[in-house]
Amino acid sequence: MNDNRFLCTPQEHFVTRRRLLGTTAGLSAGATLGAGALGGLVQPAIADDLSKRDKQVLFIWIDGGMSQLESWDPKPNTKFGGPFRAIPTSVPGVHFSEVLPRSAKLMDRLAVVRSLCTQDNSHSAGVARIQRGDPKNRGVTYPYFGSAVARLMGPGKSRLPAYVWVKPGSGGFIHQDAGFLGPKYGALAFGDGKPPENLLRPDSITADEDDARHRLREAIDGRYAERRRPLISDANKYVFDTARTLMDRRELFDESAFSQSDRDRYGAHEIGRHMLIGRNMLEAGVRFVKVNSYGWDTHGDNFNGHLSLMPKFDQAFAAIIEDLDVRGMLDHVLVIAMSEFGRTPRINGHIGRDHWPEAWSLVMAGCGVKRGVVVGKTNELGTFVDSEPYDIGHLFHTWFRALGINSAEAEYDNNGQPLPIAHDDCKPVEEVLA
Amino acid sequence: MKTDPATLLQQFEPQETKSIVADPQVTEARFSPCGCYLAAGGFDAHVRIWDVSGDEPVELPPIIGHNGWVHAIVFHPTDDILYSADSWGQIRATRHDGGELQPIWDCEHAHDGWIRQIDLSPDGSRLASVGADGRVALWNTADGELIREWSGHGCDVQSVRFHPDGQRLVSGDAFGKVKVWDVTAERSDAVRDMDASTLWLLSRLQDVGGVRLLRFSPDGAWLACGGVTPKNGGTVQGKPTLLVFDFASGEVKHTLVLGEEKDCFLHDLHWHVAGFLIGVTSGTPGAGRIEFRRLEDEKPFFESTRYPNCHSVSVPSDQSLMAIVTTNRNSNGNGRKLDKDGNYAGNNSPIQLFRFGKKEA
Repeated sequence: MNDNRFLCTPQEHFVTRRRLLGTTAGLSAGATLGAGALGGLVQPAIADDLSKRDKQVLFIWIDGGMSQLESWDPKPNTKFGGPFRAIPTSVPGVHFSEVLPRSAKLMDRLAVVRSLCTQDNSHSAGVARIQRGDPKNRGVTYPYFGSAVARLMGPGKSRLPAYVWVKPGSGGFIHQDAGFLGPKYGALAFGDGKPPENLLRPDSITADEDDARHRLREAIDGRYAERRRPLISDANKYVFDTARTLMDRRELFDESAFSQSDRDRYGAHEIGRHMLIGRNMLEAGVRFVKVNSYGWDTHGDNFNGHLSLMPKFDQAFAAIIEDLDVRGMLDHVLVIAMSEFGRTPRINGHIGRDHWPEAWSLVMAGCGVKRGVVVGKTNELGTFVDSEPYDIGHLFHTWFRALGINSAEAEYDNNGQPLPIAHDDCKPVEEVLA
Repeated sequence: MKTDPATLLQQFEPQETKSIVADPQVTEARFSPCGCYLAAGGFDAHVRIWDVSGDEPVELPPIIGHNGWVHAIVFHPTDDILYSADSWGQIRATRHDGGELQPIWDCEHAHDGWIRQIDLSPDGSRLASVGADGRVALWNTADGELIREWSGHGCDVQSVRFHPDGQRLVSGDAFGKVKVWDVTAERSDAVRDMDASTLWLLSRLQDVGGVRLLRFSPDGAWLACGGVTPKNGGTVQGKPTLLVFDFASGEVKHTLVLGEEKDCFLHDLHWHVAGFLIGVTSGTPGAGRIEFRRLEDEKPFFESTRYPNCHSVSVPSDQSLMAIVTTNRNSNGNGRKLDKDGNYAGNNSPIQLFRFGKKEA
């Protein structure tokens, strides 16, 4: 049964920015999900140590399911291969679908895993299951990868939120991502790449007045915190601090500051614009940046769909890889592009492909990851994995390792309950690690 | 005097005659002008041919040498030549007469990638092709030489059709633009454009729909542009739609909706010489519709939803037969589905053959 003493109300935070007021309510509601949880680490020193490093993550989430056959693992001229050709990449012997021409030229900087075999073929469960790493069921809700990184590595020196999400549609604070870690580690989502509404101080309030209000709020919050669990008050403080930080960093959202050359290279479409903002966030030092695209669930008209979708993804993806490489950032930024599953080899009557977790692909680049490697393979028709299959748990171990976290030893502390940070029956994919 | 719908139905109600199961799936099937042969372009890069003149269809050797999907096929109106085009950009001309196939010419790189459609001029001397590379190309059917090409669309060109006068060509693109080209003049730009952009939608990141088919009325007075009025991308939904332009004025005079949102794409259309349209739709797996209707009527005089996912309709020169490509039932499903032998099975394309009109007792 929830203890309502720990629930705050909007009235208690009247002086904050409107957008984040809603967020605060969400934070508190989220806290009830993991009631009693204090999401920490068994070894706090790990977080302190990692926070000093500058490793970052760019997580590109293709929501709905990119077809592996129309991207990283083409099977041209086979029964299920579809209409597209395969094209050579910059790594001899490795081919991508022809709808990825820019990415193909960058294969020498990428690592492709073609032997994913995961457990869920529905969006409703699959999205969360994949992004939480599908650990063993221990009666708790595990954090999304972004929340996990935020908790394990902290925000770094930037003072910016550790986990931001540049997404289509609306924004807000997505506290649910944090699971048992507590709402502080949720995602701060920028809808359409825009900052929270009402971020700017109104002209009718002077800077001095704003500071006075801020001090008043801190005093009120301090009294409020005395009667609440630290989890709640920390989360509240986090939101207000974040808002003030973002007020000072409005340039992160200023699309007019991008050069025409950058706009052309990334594309004027949604994923291009959002990837550019994601680059801004990474350059500003945000620990974990998620950029996502919706609308990839191509049960119908899959091939025309991918003919339209893939070039836009390709343009934005190749541009960010090139930029991170040129800036030397691939040395410390781990890039991951993936969906919740792949798509069926079988082509249905709507000329679509359905959900297929049995054999699919993802691509990585950057810190801790080899360049120019393909790990695993599927059979001739692309129907099943024809090498050691890797579940998402293997990838979580791999990503943690790439970020310098020993996932075999590091544990969460869920109010005294030690929990592994990745599935304890899985291990890193050694072939892909540098 | 206008024929009443009941009489039309009596005269043209389709009666099933034969069925062929094409496995793996095919994109479309076309009758030879005489109606003796049926050819279908496959997902396996083959052109499969059946002799359908007897009581039972007899499969003949396929045309091989294509890649990807054979996405467009057309028979020469008078010679025994079949032209086929694939998704890797190749066009082939093959002589067939029920005996051994004879390759006449092929152009391996006619387009850079997916050839969407091809069409022949009424006299059979010219072949037009359009592709995802944005090109509209005109070829000499005798030797496969490129005569002319146009690049004015600047995007994926999905459909093409000769006007019955053979002097003009129309092409439709992924954004709903229709262009008219003069094939007799050295003119690089379009004669004019027509707007069919209601057949296109930007849904999130995806451009959905486009002009999927173009058909002229037999007298050339009407141009029908078909596709879907898209509602969303991803799992595309929307009502199958036909915009009928008065070709002289370029104005849309009729907008026909041939189904519900689940029916989605108007995949193919035949303009019967008796003055009605035969449209077939394919949408949500299992949903398929056949409609016979006249432009001026509010309702079809025949409709059927019996055949799932109808992808093409073909009628030979004498207008007596009809072939419709469908997809097997239960063609969709997430995750692992194995057959009784533990194999991962694909889908197939039942091709249903019909004759028109009730059989007299």
